[in-house]
Amino acid sequence: MTLTVQRRFVTPEPDETLEALAARALPDLPLEAAMDRIRGWNLHIFAMRKPRGLLLGGDVVFVEPPRS
Amino acid sequence: MFDLVIRNARVVDGTGAPAFLGEVAVKAGRIAAVGPKVAGPARAELDAGGKAVAPGFIDPHTHFDVQLLWDGAARPCLEHGVTSIIPGNCSLSMAPLRAGDRKAVIGMFQQIEELPPEAFTIAFDWTWEDWEGYRRALEKGLAINVAPLVGHSVIRLWVMGPDANQRAARPDEIAAMQDVLRQCLAAGAIGLSTSFVDVDETARPVPSRFAQFAELDGLCAVLGEFGRMLQIVPEFYDADITIARIDQLAELSLKHGIPTTFSPVFDNRQTPQSVDRILDRAEEQFARGARVWPQMQTRPIDISFSLLRPSLFFARLPSWVRVLRLPVEERIAALKDPETRARLLRDAGEDGGERIMGRLVARAGEAPTDLAGKTLKEIADARGQGCALALIEVSLEHGLDVAFLAANGGHDNSDRIGPLLARPHVHVGAGDGGAHLASFSTYGDTGYLFSEFVRGTGALSLEQAVAKITGETADIWGLKDRGRLAPGQAADIVVFDPDRIGRGEERPVFDMPGEGMRYTRDSVGVEAVLVNGELAWTPAGYTQAKAGRICEMA
Repeated sequence: MTLTVQRRFVTPEPDETLEALAARALPDLPLEAAMDRIRGWNLHIFAMRKPRGLLLGGDVVFVEPPRS
Repeated sequence: MFDLVIRNARVVDGTGAPAFLGEVAVKAGRIAAVGPKVAGPARAELDAGGKAVAPGFIDPHTHFDVQLLWDGAARPCLEHGVTSIIPGNCSLSMAPLRAGDRKAVIGMFQQIEELPPEAFTIAFDWTWEDWEGYRRALEKGLAINVAPLVGHSVIRLWVMGPDANQRAARPDEIAAMQDVLRQCLAAGAIGLSTSFVDVDETARPVPSRFAQFAELDGLCAVLGEFGRMLQIVPEFYDADITIARIDQLAELSLKHGIPTTFSPVFDNRQTPQSVDRILDRAEEQFARGARVWPQMQTRPIDISFSLLRPSLFFARLPSWVRVLRLPVEERIAALKDPETRARLLRDAGEDGGERIMGRLVARAGEAPTDLAGKTLKEIADARGQGCALALIEVSLEHGLDVAFLAANGGHDNSDRIGPLLARPHVHVGAGDGGAHLASFSTYGDTGYLFSEFVRGTGALSLEQAVAKITGETADIWGLKDRGRLAPGQAADIVVFDPDRIGRGEERPVFDMPGEGMRYTRDSVGVEAVLVNGELAWTPAGYTQAKAGRICEMA
């Protein structure tokens, strides 16, 4: 059976920073723009979490916007 | 000769097959015979009076890890017909745990499960560190069967010490965790639990959340050696993240040949499409051969609280949590302190807390009579105050002993939830028994399944509902000889009235160690509960039977 397409995500590498993750996940974008998009698509990490932006090894980090 | 024959029974055998009028015989703790008529004498007989006789219910998501050490019946779980429970969910268990790490785990249990501190200090003799020792401590007084999970967070603590909630594990540490998990499984743990949402008492993520996927993959390889379950708590508030977790679980299930389950899954009036997307994704993964069981609770989300103790209600208001964690005298002083009060009011929102708190209702019997039944908005308006300020001042005026109910916080549309519970791949559970003691009563979810979704909406037949919480649950988890009324199965039996079974009113009791408070519900319509062939409970009360066991796995 073919799975329906769902929102793409990556998980952080050990000790990976937002900068490194953004560069890895969105290599075609300028770094600042890539970081902004990652922040905007992942409010569970960059808005709801305290401290904000603390990347955890188990995180789901979306690399595209919601599909609907 | 049989030990017991239950006659005049409406036998609902846990398979989903049609009920029939018949008899059930028990011998040496096992079902000896089931049929329209059982031949042979018996030392004792029980006339079921045409009531339902079913396998004992199995509760797959509990946190009785600590309570079981002083209460082997997991009261009041057993009197609701539950004969087997699965504790150790959400990455937390009481072993393996070095003495020096106890404080960290107590903090997590207090934060996540709202257990009073005295539960850890005066109620039992903490003698063990490894899983084998915990198992021996548990086995001393069980009246209910227990199938315990081991928690990922405590395994991390065991191997990594204070680094457990700081960083990713090195390959050698992952290998050490695999060894520890293997030892736990060999000593009776039935699987592993992990969490992607929980925090400790300082609001720091619990250790399991610092694990890379490779670490979880390594631990699941060990689960695969035993064919055991992985339970997770996903970011249940977000459908996209939950679906991502489902895909991760499917990958692990297929790679290692293990069952997996995630809980909770809630229906939500604001985003009703979310639960359908989540369940559809799980079904897609089942179609690929993965086993990813969504666990869904039966009851609506209701939360009660007073400012006498910390509560789940304030989970998204850290400044309130900090104040409520203070000793009572300091807490009262903080609530009176202008600076602290200003911070609390600011965090409650620009509307004075109306959105968050306005619909709270003062609980009858736990609030002054002139307030009972009124919403906080009504109380606040009468005082000419905002809701948050009224909550603080009313509470201070009564020694903080004013309880409020946040009713129907979600998962409360029975016409939608019934068909969801009936879906073939939905695992009925996620009750959280033994947790959130001061916020709501988790007990009676099984009775509510029958009262609301069998007799009420009719979404499930009696036989389907019984199968969901007995035979299907045993199969999902791989519990050996549980969940069915059939010869050779353990004689875990509940006798109940299908026309009455339900749940009692939620009420506060002070029966936790140190006279700690919790909400509870009495059983309704349950007439007898047998555990491994021994009568454990009747409406007259608990018996002296201690026939509970650590469950064996198939």
